[in-house]
Amino acid sequence: MSSIKSQSRHANLFVVPYGMSFLVFIVCPILFAAALAFTQLDLTSREHLHFVGLDNFREALKDPYFIQATKVTCVYAIMIVPAFVVLSFGLALGLQAMTFGRNAVRGLIFLPGMFNVVVASIIWRWFYDGEFGFFNYLLKRVGIMPIHWLGEKTLALPSIVVMSLWWGLGGATIILLAALQQIPTHLYEAAMIDGATSRRLLTNITIPQMRHVLLFIVVTSTIGAFQVFGQTFMMTNGGPDRSTTGLVQLIYDTAFNKYRLGYAAALSWLLFAMILVVIIVQALLLRRSID
Amino acid sequence: MRGHFLTGLFFMCVVLAALKLFTGGGPLARQKTEISFWNGWTGPDGTAMLEVIRHFNEENPDIEVSMQRMAWDTYYNKLMVSAMSGRGPQVFVIHASTLPRMVRAGYLADVSDLFGSSTGLLPSDFESKVLDQVKFGKKMVGVPLDIHPQGLYCNADQLIAAGLKNPDGTPKPPTNRDEFIDAIKKLQKVGANGDHDVWGFSWTFWRNNFMALIPQFHGRYFDDNGNPDLVNPGNVAALAFMGDLMNHLKLTPPAESNAGWTGFRQKKVAMLFEGVYMVGDLQSLTDFKYFGAPVPQIGSQPGTVGDSHCLCIRSDLNGKEREASERFISYLSKHSLAWARAGQVPARISIRNSPEFKQLQVQYAFSKEVPYMIYPPRTPLLFELIQEIDQAVERVLRGEMTPQAALELANSNVEKAIARDKEENKS
Amino acid sequence: MKVRGRIAAIVMLAVAVVFLSPAVLMVFTAFKSPDEVLNPSSAIPHHWTLENFARTLKYSEEAPFAQWLLNSMLISTSVTFLVLFVSSLTAFAIARLKIKGSGKILAVIVASMMIPGQLFLIPVYLMLGWFHWLDTPLALIVPATAGGFGVFMLTQFMRSIPPSLEEAALIDGCSLWGVYSQICLPLCTPALATLGIFTFIGSWNDFLGPLVFMDSVRNYTLPVGIALYQSSYFTEYGKTLATSVLGTAPLVIVYCIFQKRIISSMATTGLKD
Repeated sequence: MSSIKSQSRHANLFVVPYGMSFLVFIVCPILFAAALAFTQLDLTSREHLHFVGLDNFREALKDPYFIQATKVTCVYAIMIVPAFVVLSFGLALGLQAMTFGRNAVRGLIFLPGMFNVVVASIIWRWFYDGEFGFFNYLLKRVGIMPIHWLGEKTLALPSIVVMSLWWGLGGATIILLAALQQIPTHLYEAAMIDGATSRRLLTNITIPQMRHVLLFIVVTSTIGAFQVFGQTFMMTNGGPDRSTTGLVQLIYDTAFNKYRLGYAAALSWLLFAMILVVIIVQALLLRRSID
Repeated sequence: MRGHFLTGLFFMCVVLAALKLFTGGGPLARQKTEISFWNGWTGPDGTAMLEVIRHFNEENPDIEVSMQRMAWDTYYNKLMVSAMSGRGPQVFVIHASTLPRMVRAGYLADVSDLFGSSTGLLPSDFESKVLDQVKFGKKMVGVPLDIHPQGLYCNADQLIAAGLKNPDGTPKPPTNRDEFIDAIKKLQKVGANGDHDVWGFSWTFWRNNFMALIPQFHGRYFDDNGNPDLVNPGNVAALAFMGDLMNHLKLTPPAESNAGWTGFRQKKVAMLFEGVYMVGDLQSLTDFKYFGAPVPQIGSQPGTVGDSHCLCIRSDLNGKEREASERFISYLSKHSLAWARAGQVPARISIRNSPEFKQLQVQYAFSKEVPYMIYPPRTPLLFELIQEIDQAVERVLRGEMTPQAALELANSNVEKAIARDKEENKS
Repeated sequence: MKVRGRIAAIVMLAVAVVFLSPAVLMVFTAFKSPDEVLNPSSAIPHHWTLENFARTLKYSEEAPFAQWLLNSMLISTSVTFLVLFVSSLTAFAIARLKIKGSGKILAVIVASMMIPGQLFLIPVYLMLGWFHWLDTPLALIVPATAGGFGVFMLTQFMRSIPPSLEEAALIDGCSLWGVYSQICLPLCTPALATLGIFTFIGSWNDFLGPLVFMDSVRNYTLPVGIALYQSSYFTEYGKTLATSVLGTAPLVIVYCIFQKRIISSMATTGLKD
């Protein structure tokens, strides 16, 4: 598009509206937060604000709560991201292949995503309830003892993973389906004339054509997994025994219950660094997808 | 871009904005002083409070009180953020236990002038330990509205069926350790395959249950020098009792189960300890006969834990707002019987002695605990302390640590938090 | 192929039922009395009651539903329009115009999504205070345009579409704005509609924003206003689920109205390359 370059000044104008908003509402707060991480600021005794250098970060690395929350967050991400990407892609392919009822099914899969996190968590907390929850009701009917899905330390986080999948898959599926439907059909026609199997079609046409959007799903679901908070907070409040307390809950707790804003800011930056590293690794592994 | 849906969207925005402009600024009579009242009473108790407010607004046409309520955690966060920029409500509720932190932040006005014969709020109408909760130096930062201790809830029918009754047929709840254990064994119903159809007793909100037992065993949170003393023998004994009851004697549902309060409502748990405010939840159930009593004396002396809701005023109010707020608070205090019906013990002795209050069985029974009830410890770092206690209790109940070890860990963490707080806030 | 299509349809229908059941159960339970909620003998209520809904709607001086609904509609619609417009402009510049530093700009935008949202809460609150936007819809509408999700998503979608139509238009002498509005936008309609639905739902369900940036009850959004009655200590599941139904129903309606747009017209037209 060489003629574009000569109009580059006009081209830059396209970015101005977003740029302004980004500057005011993202960059400025980030600078504020960056400064905050190197200070001590207790919201209830603001007059004692002072600079502490790297102390907050040093404290974090020795803080057993931080270390535990990091473990929980990483385990959660490992459990959910692959499942999320594979399942949403599978569902999108399934929807694409449907000959009737596609719109209805697409809507039904997406329906859970319309509930906000509070509502969705309450529904599932009620499902998982050890005393009158629906799952245990079903188990009772077949004569099995009730399982304390959210009360057992080993079961709580996986139970939340299942809930998160129910809640989030619809959105990713819709996006992937939209991307699938944009693939020009003549590519498939040509390949089928050449006698390609459906697996070949998938690996040689579908996935490469969708690589940009697939990367988008991988990146956003990873970011979302590392930032998990609403569900764990509402369903188990981080329990049992902090086994579902992720980093964002720790940050929230530190900032709004203990009022230690400086330390909370430092924790946030550590979380950011973790996510950044993971995303970079992912991007390198999928290197060919980036233009 | 004609015909593209974005333009349609744009026009929708314009229409909606116009609608909002026309309706948004709801007409409020300028001569009324508007008072915003925030609290965390999201259950039926809040509904009771709404009725009181409706009456106040009718009887005081120059004031308009509007209430906002939300879950307590959210409430405190929003209060903090709003107060930070001077935008908060005029009147708000703070738990007595949370006052130290709020006072440190400087958001509370001095309301000493509310206590006097002109308002009818006499200091003599409050126990000194209750009034002490709102005293900070020479300031009084709030008006205690109520007291809510932990007490014993029983399923009356199940008690009577198990033979735990008085000669006149009323249920006879346990009053000491032996009676307590005996009652549990009589009340539980174990099925053929060993699982419990009915539990005699269940722990509910573990931390509160533990804190209720601490005074009974002569336990404490801080020693005489103000240092944390979570691992003293009284606390260890109280926590050991809790753990034993669950894991050795197996007389309560196991730690993974959440059978406490819900189980009680389902008639699968016959007795439990909970706060007086939970009675509102039971009032909506048909065919459920509940009964309240003081927490049995399991340790060597009677004891329980409780807190109070205190009505506070923002520190920067102007004359009119201040006067209106004070009128509102006096009114609420005077009508705390209506509030008590929703599940509270009035803070005012005169109202507690009224015949109407004595008819509220659970509230009246729990009010008998007030003389020996203790409040949570007075420290700005209450949240950190409570979080550590939470974890210690959980670890013991899940059988992961002994009470001694768990409380030692909690104590050392609290010491660290206090030291760090001191370090960070040295002037 | 047709047989495979039918099998796929049946399997997917089963999947859809699985996804749907929790929501259906929720609606059923909202119509149950407290006793039945505690001791469920079946999924469907034996005794249908409206008491949970009635209790929610009873005290209108503290629960102005109509005003909340209007607020939510206004804010979500405005945010959707702005995000779609601004993000598509930016995505167009990055994916098509390939302005200088495109790659770095996108990387920064994606990186901004990795920062936990709580960190922004207090600085943005202070800024909105300075602008005097607190307790007005502006506080919820304008900051929402800074999100990177829309830009990232549209950029990736645009990259998936061959640029031939746009190049042709440029050669024909079309202005940049013309290429954007006449070619790119229509081509991206499925992606835009999808992003639109996401943005609308995300804005509608935003909890922290309205809670912190609004003071008056009159200015809350619908889900927040309703959600504030989630009891802290009572297990009133029936009432809670009833309020959830009320808060989510408008979204379902909006989705049903607009969901047709997500179907791509590309699959049928195709591009002759």
